Amino acid sequence: MENNQLQLSVSEFVALTNQTLDYAFPTVSVVGEVTEFRISQGKWVSFKLKDADAVVGCFLVLNQLRQPIQDGMKLLVVANPRLNNKGFFSLNVRAMKPVGEGSIKKGFDLLKAKLEAEGLFSPERKRTLPRVPQRVAVVTSTESAGYADFCKIINERWGGLSVEVAHTQVQGVPAPDQMIRAIRYFNSLDVLPEVLVIIRGGGSAEDLMAFNDEPLARAIAESRIPTLVGVGHEVDHTLADMIADVRAATPTNAAEILVPDRNEIIRAAHQRAASLGHQLTQAIDEYSQRTRQQLEAAYRRMQEKLDENFERLATLRLATAQLNPENILRRGYAFLRGEVVEGSTIEIETTNSIAQAEVKHVRTK
Amino acid sequence: MSEQNKSVQEKLSQLSELVTWFQGPEFKLEAAFDKFKQAETLAEEIEKDLTKLKNDIKVVKKKFDSES
Repeated sequence: MENNQLQLSVSEFVALTNQTLDYAFPTVSVVGEVTEFRISQGKWVSFKLKDADAVVGCFLVLNQLRQPIQDGMKLLVVANPRLNNKGFFSLNVRAMKPVGEGSIKKGFDLLKAKLEAEGLFSPERKRTLPRVPQRVAVVTSTESAGYADFCKIINERWGGLSVEVAHTQVQGVPAPDQMIRAIRYFNSLDVLPEVLVIIRGGGSAEDLMAFNDEPLARAIAESRIPTLVGVGHEVDHTLADMIADVRAATPTNAAEILVPDRNEIIRAAHQRAASLGHQLTQAIDEYSQRTRQQLEAAYRRMQEKLDENFERLATLRLATAQLNPENILRRGYAFLRGEVVEGSTIEIETTNSIAQAEVKHVRTK
Repeated sequence: MSEQNKSVQEKLSQLSELVTWFQGPEFKLEAAFDKFKQAETLAEEIEKDLTKLKNDIKVVKKKFDSES
């Protein structure tokens, strides 16, 4: 044993090793399959990453876990290699994500089931958006095509909106935390926006993974501002849009849901005014018809009265005619004028003659 | 901007009230023509207001890449 060799205490050795590791490998990215996944004391997460020939321990605190992990999933971890004071070498995980289609889907399904069990997707939780909001908050990357589409459509469809945009990353490891901060920022304003819109254009499953992050999903669920999330294309479903109050298929669709089409409103306003014109014409027609009917009814009543009176008149005429002395004479009777006493002269009138006669004899009946 | 928007909302509400009046028991033929003219004017104003309204889109200065 050489005397001039550096002698270190165990603690010094561990510290020196960690310094060397920090210098040589400040962070490493390691891909492997998860095994022996464990959560201890509700606080610490440990698992091993393995491949065909080797295995390495990984460690993180529970609140760093962005989505449920299971043995068998393939993960990419970004970590600091450390030798701890008990002599165990491990990777202190800074960030991690499933890799490969199967693992991404597995992670998505596990988190979806977890959030679903908590009732976070239930329809009863969904709030409606105001029909015409005036203050809107948007969380997105202002450099994205999705944001440009969103602005184009809202400007075409509506005006007078006050829109505040929080520029964040929408993919990659930092994206979920940035979006969470933006959501919290808008929720902390004295005057809350009426709608919180989160948008991102299309991309691969891995690009959209930021929207399947558990803390982000929970931040959306906790938002005091009603949320509208449009991520990717029609076929893409992320946990962020499933948990939102309203899901839009795309950023363009989010703009269409957010504001009405001014041209439709203008058309509808003119149609409503025109419909009042039709109702007015109809009301005038109805009034005219009713007045005509009333006049006709009055005329009919007058006619009936007249007919009744004419009928009575005819009856009276007939009765009067029957009393006419001429008619009596025509029936063969005669009027006799003068005193009927013997020796007197009387006048006898028939229908066509007047005769004078002397009374020769009078006999009492 | 939002005040202008509000005035569009008010005009839309007024138009709805006129439609309701036409369909309700308070309808009177004597007043209907004036109400109809009011509705036409409102529709014209809504078109004018909506056509000229612009959105005010601002990117907030705050950065979200770290807690601060």
